[in-house]
Amino acid sequence: MKHIINSYENINNTARNNSDCPRVVLPEEIFFTISIVGVLENLIVLLAVFKNKNLQAPMYFFICSLAISDMLGSLYKILENILIILRNMGYLKPRGSFETTADDIIDSLFVLSLLGSIFSLSVIAADRYITIFHALRYHSIVTMRRTVVVLAVIWTFCTGTGIAMVIFSHHVPTVITFTSLFPLMLVFILCLYVHMFLLARSHTRKISTLPRANMKGAITLTILLGVFIFCWAPFVLHVLLMTFCPSNPYCACYMSLFQVNGMLIMCNAVIDPFIYAFRSPELRDAFKKMIFCSRYW
Amino acid sequence: MSAQRLISNRTSQQSASNSDYTWEYEYYEIGPVSFEGLKAHKYSIVIGFWVGLAVFVIFMFFVLTLLTKTGAPHQDNAESSEKRFRMNSFVSDFGRPLEPDKVFSRQGNEESRSLFHCYINEVERLDRAKACHQTTALDSDVQLQEAIRSSGQPEEELNRLMKFDIPNFVNTDQNSFGEDDLLISEPPIVLETKPLPQISHKDLD
Repeated sequence: MKHIINSYENINNTARNNSDCPRVVLPEEIFFTISIVGVLENLIVLLAVFKNKNLQAPMYFFICSLAISDMLGSLYKILENILIILRNMGYLKPRGSFETTADDIIDSLFVLSLLGSIFSLSVIAADRYITIFHALRYHSIVTMRRTVVVLAVIWTFCTGTGIAMVIFSHHVPTVITFTSLFPLMLVFILCLYVHMFLLARSHTRKISTLPRANMKGAITLTILLGVFIFCWAPFVLHVLLMTFCPSNPYCACYMSLFQVNGMLIMCNAVIDPFIYAFRSPELRDAFKKMIFCSRYW
Repeated sequence: MSAQRLISNRTSQQSASNSDYTWEYEYYEIGPVSFEGLKAHKYSIVIGFWVGLAVFVIFMFFVLTLLTKTGAPHQDNAESSEKRFRMNSFVSDFGRPLEPDKVFSRQGNEESRSLFHCYINEVERLDRAKACHQTTALDSDVQLQEAIRSSGQPEEELNRLMKFDIPNFVNTDQNSFGEDDLLISEPPIVLETKPLPQISHKDLD
């Protein structure tokens, strides 16, 4: 993995002129902390849903899918950190076959987590859309069986695509496919949420004239979409620049911030439970019950 | 990142400067990037990207708030009181705790479904509103429940309604309803499939 090579070859690297756009290096402890927090949070969400019978609804299953993909992303970072530590302590060879295989597996884990996040967010938005616009038929459209099938299809597709992307990562179409998923999904989610927002606005307009409720809705929407955009767009742009202009000095300066961009993705895994899962009072209650019950054990 | 292998492949073949080249891991040995003769600041892409992102998100927020401030073109003030009554009943029914196993034991379950049905119809077809209104007006149970459930003060009821953003979200307790806002993640009402066709037929008649 890149970080493994970086930590090893930075010592020997004299060809690069370090006075121009030096690579921004974040301490590994920060990554480690954020990743562990992300894993714990998403684990709590998963436990809360699986332990409570009344949370076994399609909507919560989609939130669980998002929690799983965030957890995989954080796990990827933890595994990578462990590999780096082992490498720095000398237990691993720089280019051994085990390291390359482990690196491939970790890379595919990362791509799997990315794709899983993207599809989970899309499916959550679609589920909310159906909840609002096809409310009466919701329970016949979104059955538990269909939920499980949709999630199985999504994760199978993500796993296959992740493995394929890692194998064929040296082809440009792979990168284009990968980076085009982000804007496509963003547009999809934006359309769904804005349509839902317009409906909510028209209803509050009929019953009251205070804009406070609509302002809250606007803030919530902005937070949902803003967090997604801020956390994913830098990395996607990095992949694009890396593919198309690696030796351009401007692109190189942007790519020197790779670790910051990676950290933003980790932060997304930490923030997502707060803006999706813990917004639900039921899930908050289940979480509190879990905490208080564990105190009495 | 494995996607960087592409770069290492191409540039290493071009430069051929590394004798110990392996096709996988020559990541940042891309070759020296010359930073001379730059017309703009070297971090211009970084700055431009983040500024553009911030502008986009702020623009999106302002568009959403502007949408909240501009009025709906077909707002009818004459029917506002009627709709408010229906919205009252609808909202108060939605304030019930969600207990799937007790859905049928709840009194007024049929009323909630009929109200829900009325609500959706009100949104889509205003001409059916009168029929629904008659149905709901005849249901004294609904009014009783609404009276019991409401705090008894019209102002608090109105405050509760003002915070109502999106239908179809059932809350576990009455107090949390006012705090919920747009896109709160609550499951919709558990409509049991068995009596639903019968109720729908009854409403449609």
